Amino acid sequence: MSQKPRVLVAMSGGVDSSVAAALLMREGYDCVGVTMKLFEDGANLPDRPCCSLDSTSDARRVAQLLGMPHYVLNMVDHFGHDVIADFVSEYAAGRTPIPCVRCNTFTKFSDLVAKADGIDAAFVATGHYARVAGGQLLRGADDNKDQTYFLWGIDRGVIPRLMLPVGTLTKPETRQIARHLNLPRVADKAESQEICFVPGGDYMAVLRRELPADAPALIPGPFVLSDGTVVGTHEGFARYTIGQRRALPGGSAEPMFVVAIRPDDRAVVIGPRAEILGNGLIARGVNWLTDPPKVGDEVGVRVRHRAPIVAGEIVRLEGTEVEIALQSPVAAITPGQSAVLYSGDVVRGGGFIAASRRSRAPMPVLS
Amino acid sequence: MADPIYLDHAATTPVRPEVLAAMLPYYDARFGNPSSTHRWGREARTALDEARERVAACLGASADELCFTSGGTESDNLAILGGWRVLRSTGRRGVVTSPIEHKAVLEAVHKTVSEGAEERMLAVDEGGTVTLVDARAKINDSAALASVMWVNNEIGTIQPIAALAALAKEHGVLFHTDAVQAFGKIEVDARTIPFDFASISGHKIGAPKGIGAMFLRRGTPLEPLFFGGTQDRGRRPGTENVACAIGLATACELAVAERETSSAKYRLLRDRLQAGILAKVTNAVVNAGCADRAPHILNLTVPGADGESMLMALDLNGIACSGGSACQSGSTGGSHVLAAINPAASTGASVRMSVGSLSDEAAIDRAIDVFTKLAMKASGMVAA
Repeated sequence: MSQKPRVLVAMSGGVDSSVAAALLMREGYDCVGVTMKLFEDGANLPDRPCCSLDSTSDARRVAQLLGMPHYVLNMVDHFGHDVIADFVSEYAAGRTPIPCVRCNTFTKFSDLVAKADGIDAAFVATGHYARVAGGQLLRGADDNKDQTYFLWGIDRGVIPRLMLPVGTLTKPETRQIARHLNLPRVADKAESQEICFVPGGDYMAVLRRELPADAPALIPGPFVLSDGTVVGTHEGFARYTIGQRRALPGGSAEPMFVVAIRPDDRAVVIGPRAEILGNGLIARGVNWLTDPPKVGDEVGVRVRHRAPIVAGEIVRLEGTEVEIALQSPVAAITPGQSAVLYSGDVVRGGGFIAASRRSRAPMPVLS
Repeated sequence: MADPIYLDHAATTPVRPEVLAAMLPYYDARFGNPSSTHRWGREARTALDEARERVAACLGASADELCFTSGGTESDNLAILGGWRVLRSTGRRGVVTSPIEHKAVLEAVHKTVSEGAEERMLAVDEGGTVTLVDARAKINDSAALASVMWVNNEIGTIQPIAALAALAKEHGVLFHTDAVQAFGKIEVDARTIPFDFASISGHKIGAPKGIGAMFLRRGTPLEPLFFGGTQDRGRRPGTENVACAIGLATACELAVAERETSSAKYRLLRDRLQAGILAKVTNAVVNAGCADRAPHILNLTVPGADGESMLMALDLNGIACSGGSACQSGSTGGSHVLAAINPAASTGASVRMSVGSLSDEAAIDRAIDVFTKLAMKASGMVAA
């Protein structure tokens, strides 16, 4: 009996991973569905026993309809350590983190791959909008949905084991398939742009829960201009991100933006639009999904999710730190976010933005 | 894949053919409501009264000492909350239990705390048995109620119920035991042991899910959980589940009649399973292995293996067993029982296997084979 290989399918209960599972089942793979329980929320509320009990139920129901086994995996400990704790410490350090990157790097494409090994699954499948070809990770076919911005940190060796069946589709096509497959409950689910463990988008509530009340990120500090003039007081720098316009002091002739966050003196630096433009950046913790580029190579650079890919050049490459010069200035290059590098559709790799730079002249190496 | 092997009888069992046959007429011609005065009602009433007598007899009790419930969880809640809510007016505040109880008991005890009780957790030794020294300190004149399970559902340890019940009686403390895993495996007799409440469940012994019973000794005070009828003397209002009560009675009688032979058989099979696995997976640890255990349960920890992967792999290879108890919404989270007796168990894969009516030597040998291969792979041992 020839049977197609076993695939561990990560199912969130949403439309993308449900359709991914359905497509793989249709192709005859030996699919095993899992839903990861990643955090405890409202544990003391008996009518809401878990963050994701509803979505877990939806995932289980889809797996039942498709005729595949389904398990719930408790990954609360690892996720809490690898993702939530880092999210909190990044805000505390004045940066703006992207937990989805670390979830993909550590949870989905590391811990989950280990689970796949445990059941002899040759492949791991998810509902990400990205493609795999020739051992390389490619941008998703739907430009609006491409999720490679969150995937640069995964182990390159895992790529040949990935199956991303919706990566070749557009989101409307995915929904259409869900309707055709009679998965109506998931087909029309609202798009979730929220961070999964931040209910209602209120990340300050998470920080208040996880940090001491007198944490520097949560207590008042000065608004300053880049010349040092103090122009007001803010209620904690964790409320701010680079490029933000809301909740800034008024009274300036032109619109003001957050230019920098300085945790050392708790200052939020504000300035006019010209001051948030950057001509380059330094990224750390760099991970390559192809053979590494060389200094002088041209690359496409994306500095935030769904931002356009802009042309850049590698000007310095040392260990896991890379410095990139951008051909034209980009607004609000934000420490903590990712810089993802592309050659055409191919994801070359990425890193966490440590600093932006305003001139094209090489900067001193950060210690 | 060869036929799958069911090694999860502690989670649930198939309804026995004799039980189903006894029940069917009460879904059909004898469908009456036992509270009706006409002939249909009388017929159902007769069967229900008989079922109550039959289940009571299996527990060494009288019919008036038996409430039918929806199962173990309801029986546990009814005994603990129903007993506590009467006793709290006496000024006794202590509610005593153990950390290895079923969640139905633990959560009911937590509920009493919200109503003014003082929770007292009994110490449990490494073998998973409640220590009497600690029990003597906590089951005292200021305690209202104590609840200790007869057989632990995850590791199978038999608790010193006779001594605990006697201690409670000596101090005027109501004593409840969750006998869900004990009944049918070891003797549960209200005439020889002075417990005030005992819970049993149908689906662990070949009756359907959704039926169970609570023994309460004659004269024991009880505040009901439900209101709205006089059924079961007002202790458990609601139209009785006649067919299932008959099913429970039939299953109880079979369980008691077969107890010694089936327990001996289960013990042989369980010990065969244990020895077969330990012979090859030499680093596996039998949880509560040194304790007095019920005959049907084997709980093993394979050091260095991942529990979730192991359980998935066992299932995908046709071996049905469970991590902790099966009652945690399909999640394979950590076991509070193992955490209480052996914190090191969390660093390996812990698996509960429970033999029963569907088990025979051939199935056990095949399970040994599959388990051994998976455990050796999962813990990085090289296959012999």
